[in-house]
Amino acid sequence: MGANGVRAVTLYEVQGVSHRYALGRHSVDALRGVDLEVAAGEFLAIAGPSGSGKTTLLNILGMLERPSEGTVRLDGANVSTLSELQRTRLRRERIGFVFQAFHLIPVLTAFENVEYFLLKRNLRAEEARRRVLAVLEAVGIVGAAGQRPNEMSGGQRQRVAIARAMVRDPDVVLADEPTAALDGATGLAVVSLMKRLNRERGVTFVFATHDPRILAAADRVVQIEDGRVMR
Amino acid sequence: MRNVFRNRRHSLFALASIAMGATGLLVFMGFNRGTMDQYRSDTVRSRWGHGQLYVRGYRDSAYTRPWEKWIEDSEAVMQRVRQLPEVVDVFPRVGIPAVLVAGDRTVAGQGEGVDGVREARFFDQLNYIEGGDFKDHPSGIVMGQGIAEALGVRVGDDVQVVTGSGNMPIRRVTVSVTGVFRTGIQEFDSRAFRIPLAVAQGLLRTDRVEALAIALSGSTAWPAFAKAARTALPELEAVPFDELDKVYYRHAVDWLDAQFAFIKSIILFMVFLGILNAVSMTVVERTAEIGMLRANGESRIEIAITHVVEAAALGLLGGCLGLLSGWALALGPLRHGIAMPPAPGLTRGLRIVIALGFHDALEVLTLCIVTSIAGCLLPVWRTTRIPIAQALRHA
Repeated sequence: MGANGVRAVTLYEVQGVSHRYALGRHSVDALRGVDLEVAAGEFLAIAGPSGSGKTTLLNILGMLERPSEGTVRLDGANVSTLSELQRTRLRRERIGFVFQAFHLIPVLTAFENVEYFLLKRNLRAEEARRRVLAVLEAVGIVGAAGQRPNEMSGGQRQRVAIARAMVRDPDVVLADEPTAALDGATGLAVVSLMKRLNRERGVTFVFATHDPRILAAADRVVQIEDGRVMR
Repeated sequence: MRNVFRNRRHSLFALASIAMGATGLLVFMGFNRGTMDQYRSDTVRSRWGHGQLYVRGYRDSAYTRPWEKWIEDSEAVMQRVRQLPEVVDVFPRVGIPAVLVAGDRTVAGQGEGVDGVREARFFDQLNYIEGGDFKDHPSGIVMGQGIAEALGVRVGDDVQVVTGSGNMPIRRVTVSVTGVFRTGIQEFDSRAFRIPLAVAQGLLRTDRVEALAIALSGSTAWPAFAKAARTALPELEAVPFDELDKVYYRHAVDWLDAQFAFIKSIILFMVFLGILNAVSMTVVERTAEIGMLRANGESRIEIAITHVVEAAALGLLGGCLGLLSGWALALGPLRHGIAMPPAPGLTRGLRIVIALGFHDALEVLTLCIVTSIAGCLLPVWRTTRIPIAQALRHA
């Protein structure tokens, strides 16, 4: 149920998801029978200690990995069994990512880092430029649009990364420890920014985090331990 | 394009590999071409011309009286030949096996009766170590160094040319040595001699000619000439010089070509290894970035294309640098050519001029680009196959 009493639309439906991976001659169960629903427009935090499986769960939501067992549905469609190409297309159209290490392209300016992912959309140059500037404005970094990542602070880089994730109007932004590399004030500013984008644009945000600031701002916190969602 | 110089050290290393490889390739190809050009020129302008015309079918058989199968009315035929495309001159020739006698010494030889005046204008690569062509001397003779040494004769000495064998009458004529040559081919220098056409025809009692040696505007003109000759002179067969000199020239060229191709492939392989090393380092450094791109919806093919374009740009730039330095080398320190010792079977060394051509430059540039692309394919293929989550964790 949403905050205004209206039944929320389910964006993600995770059922019985387990994930196993090989580590040398051993196998590790990163997730064990996870059930989870994510509502559209939710600001959700997945919390847990290191090695609990929160990043793995985020990767599975983002179709960066396939579950060993179980299903993942996005808007009702089973995405667990899609081909590599179908998953790539789906990520391009519907999902944005924000990483702890930012992962900006060092030889491109802030503007170009954001614009890069619009290039294949057959937009006119002016339209692409307008959208990039708008999203840079929204994240408060338009003044540094011509700077390269090595000329920016950590907070500025993460804002560029958020802009990159937002520029294609995704349905969901998956953020893996987005504030872990930032100092206190900067981290707080980034969390506030993402919360504002969530409210204003209705974009779903799902975090893998143990940052108390994100946990405090989240609509809901899902605790995960040893690969299991805690009730 | 900025990605090409993202890591300056790696990029410079890759560029240096490509440029050095391109320089080496270009100079080597120029050396190869210069060798072939020199060899071809020597062969054409010392013995055969660009080719020769014979009565069709003559070369396929042996005859007791071969001059009965030779070209009749040679002057009229030569007039017709001169009308054909690319023809610069035509030289009538008569083959004459004979014994040469000087004092009490005799040597068997294979001679040619030639138009001395006309041939002196074109056949200027015959290396005279003493004297020169007999030109308009009515009874002159030039001979290979081997014959001259065997007979113990020098310029100005008289020699008897004796023909006839089996049921053929013996005929002899006295000629005067005007020149001794050394082509560098021992077998030729120890058997070959030349006398005036009229003297040879007199000995053989014929006014026919065995062959017409052809001088064209250039070696590449032969196919056009041969085609025109087939139409205009169907009774004659046009044989190019590399067919006439198959044993030495054609086989030498084939052997050298095979050797040069092998060396060229070694150079290319070294360039490939250099590029592979530099590009591998660059691609591995970008593993996390590749993971990010794939996470954000870039396909493996799209990422590979980006890297291929960067590699092609590197190959183009390195290739251009290599071509510039290769050209500078060829026009600078190597402009006087490279002195080579005599090849096997030869007695005369050569000075090879580095002959650079536009097509060689184009080939080198293309090879640099292709090699660069080939050098990036494996590292890119491997890196794009790393699972996205694993790639993102790459330091």
